Amino acid sequence: MAAAESPSSALRRRDLCSRGIRLAGKMRADVVDLLDAYVEQQGLDASASVAAVEGVPVAAVERWDEQTGTQRLLENLAAYRAFRALLAQMLEEQREQLGEADAGLGRALAALLLQVSAFAYHLEELLRLESRGIPGEEGDGPPPPPRLSLFEQKLRGLGVLRELAQWAVRSVRDLRQLAKPSPATGAAPGLAESP
Amino acid sequence: LGDPQNLKCVTHNLHKMLCTWDISSRGRHGLTNFCYTTNDLTPQVCFETKERMVEIPVPESSITVTIESSGTAFATKEFVIHQKDISFVPVTPHILSLMPDFPTSTLNLKWSDNGSVFPYGLDALWQIQILRKEAMEVVTQVAYYSKLTHEDVILSWNWTSDMPLECTSHYVKIRCYINATQFVGPKDWSDWSPAEEIPGKDTEPGGSGVFPLDPVVAVGSDLTFCCVHEEDQRITNMTYGSKSYTMMQLSSRSHAIRVLNASVSNSSGTNVVCRLENGLEGSVVFVGYAPDTPQNLSCETSNFLIIKCTWKPGRPSGLYGERRTKYNLFERTSGKNVSCEVSEVNRDHVCGFPVLPDQKTYDFILGVSNPIGQAQSSLLVDIIQRVHPKTPEKLTVTGNNSTSIQLRWFINGSFTDIRLLCQIEISSSHSERQLHSVSMPGRKSSTYTAQLNALHPDTRYQFRVRCSAADHFWRWSDWSRAVEQTTSEA
Repeated sequence: MAAAESPSSALRRRDLCSRGIRLAGKMRADVVDLLDAYVEQQGLDASASVAAVEGVPVAAVERWDEQTGTQRLLENLAAYRAFRALLAQMLEEQREQLGEADAGLGRALAALLLQVSAFAYHLEELLRLESRGIPGEEGDGPPPPPRLSLFEQKLRGLGVLRELAQWAVRSVRDLRQLAKPSPATGAAPGLAESP
Repeated sequence: LGDPQNLKCVTHNLHKMLCTWDISSRGRHGLTNFCYTTNDLTPQVCFETKERMVEIPVPESSITVTIESSGTAFATKEFVIHQKDISFVPVTPHILSLMPDFPTSTLNLKWSDNGSVFPYGLDALWQIQILRKEAMEVVTQVAYYSKLTHEDVILSWNWTSDMPLECTSHYVKIRCYINATQFVGPKDWSDWSPAEEIPGKDTEPGGSGVFPLDPVVAVGSDLTFCCVHEEDQRITNMTYGSKSYTMMQLSSRSHAIRVLNASVSNSSGTNVVCRLENGLEGSVVFVGYAPDTPQNLSCETSNFLIIKCTWKPGRPSGLYGERRTKYNLFERTSGKNVSCEVSEVNRDHVCGFPVLPDQKTYDFILGVSNPIGQAQSSLLVDIIQRVHPKTPEKLTVTGNNSTSIQLRWFINGSFTDIRLLCQIEISSSHSERQLHSVSMPGRKSSTYTAQLNALHPDTRYQFRVRCSAADHFWRWSDWSRAVEQTTSEA
């Protein structure tokens, strides 16, 4: 049975969780706005079904409620690191393809990239709180995706933003789960225990 | 019975001719003694053959042939063949190479005209047939003329398809007709060459996609897009932008749409989407304008360090990012080339070129290009005559008494090669604005001074200064910031 968390540590975690929830909520709102602008700017069909895009972390998870706190954080961290790389790629492609045209979309993408980076750092803070080792970034990050055609790039961008919006929702649920006090002792459980 | 008959002779090269004849069944399997003589003076040439075909020279006028077949019964027949009875059918041409250039949808055909076989100077007419699709439908047939030069010359011909070559297989065949005017016999087309094929993506496993892929085309173009899919995939529709188009079937794995008079696309391009039962394929087309010829190209220097050229770009190309219109400034005398960083969005177009040591005259060519086209403007300029100094700075009063004031200012730039003309504006509450001009040798990033006399005592004045080249006036600098000073009492 893992030792119960010290009150100050639990307080700190609950604070980090609630700030994380607010960050994720804001990120979700921004992603949804950006999605509308992206679909219009890229001339895409909002209802277009986009096949699973290689390298984009999928938010849907089976047996979500059985996950431990550490699993939640580690999966979240891996996902947002991946999104950080994907958004950076999108930003570069945006500059390559559009230059200064439609700088608004570029700025919105850059702002979202900052939020994702901040959220990833926030997740690392939570893991550090639990003296959990922060998984290193894989070498130089994920292998560069294959060179896609422009239409495939547009679809991938759509897939990235859609999945990021889903992840933001999941992150809010994950963090709420982490913030819950343990029903038995009333004290917040260590990460390992919290389902 | 058994007599040789229907003797026919065909020449492929106007030198030799192939003669064939028929023999009734009874005489068919024995030896044949074939003799010919072109005229009374030359001895008869004979030889035996089992074939019913021999190659003999083409006569100047006529040839007498004697065919003696020795089958179950002897039969001899004599024929007189006149040139007019010999038909001339050129050898079937042979395609040397058929090379596709997919980005431009162009086929390059190379073949030999086989000219070494013919006398010098004959006119040759070629027919080139382009076929397409599984059904090998004729798309076009083109005539091509050439002159035979008694040498084998490799002829080359390009054809640009109205449809990407990836869409479906393209085939090419050629045949020729040689206008041998001296030859009096009937002349005919050669046979068609075997068809050379450029296979489409619809013949490749995994060749799916929309083609052309991410093209850049001119506004007003008529475009054909095709969707290559797997055999078992049903295609739902194809859209260009937001509009659905009627599809043409090219093959069991390829459908196409035709878009006429394409209009300019938005910055992220126009999507061409092929909806399949279980997926999407797409391409992005960028429709824009070739660059206009730059107007009002003008170059000047403000400091004899950099020459700044400006121009009016004309109509926006509608192309952005890596497809944007790019500018470069080439100077013919020095051979130096500078690529210009020009913002697509804001409208002022400026490019800097370094002033070169010991060079006053600059022969500029402003080159403009984007994926659709290019243009250029040129300008010959003597920079001594194009000096537009920067705004004078740090205008200060360095000395004054009741009727005179000394001013000092700084101009950034190296003007050692010219004289400067500066104008000082003198304003005061109770007298008209006056302009006082002063000329001085230019210096390198230096301060300049001027003395103003005949001022009124105890009077509050405002001064500001601007400068230009003294000898070859081009443009005034902007006015400096004003400075105020009151003359001392008398």
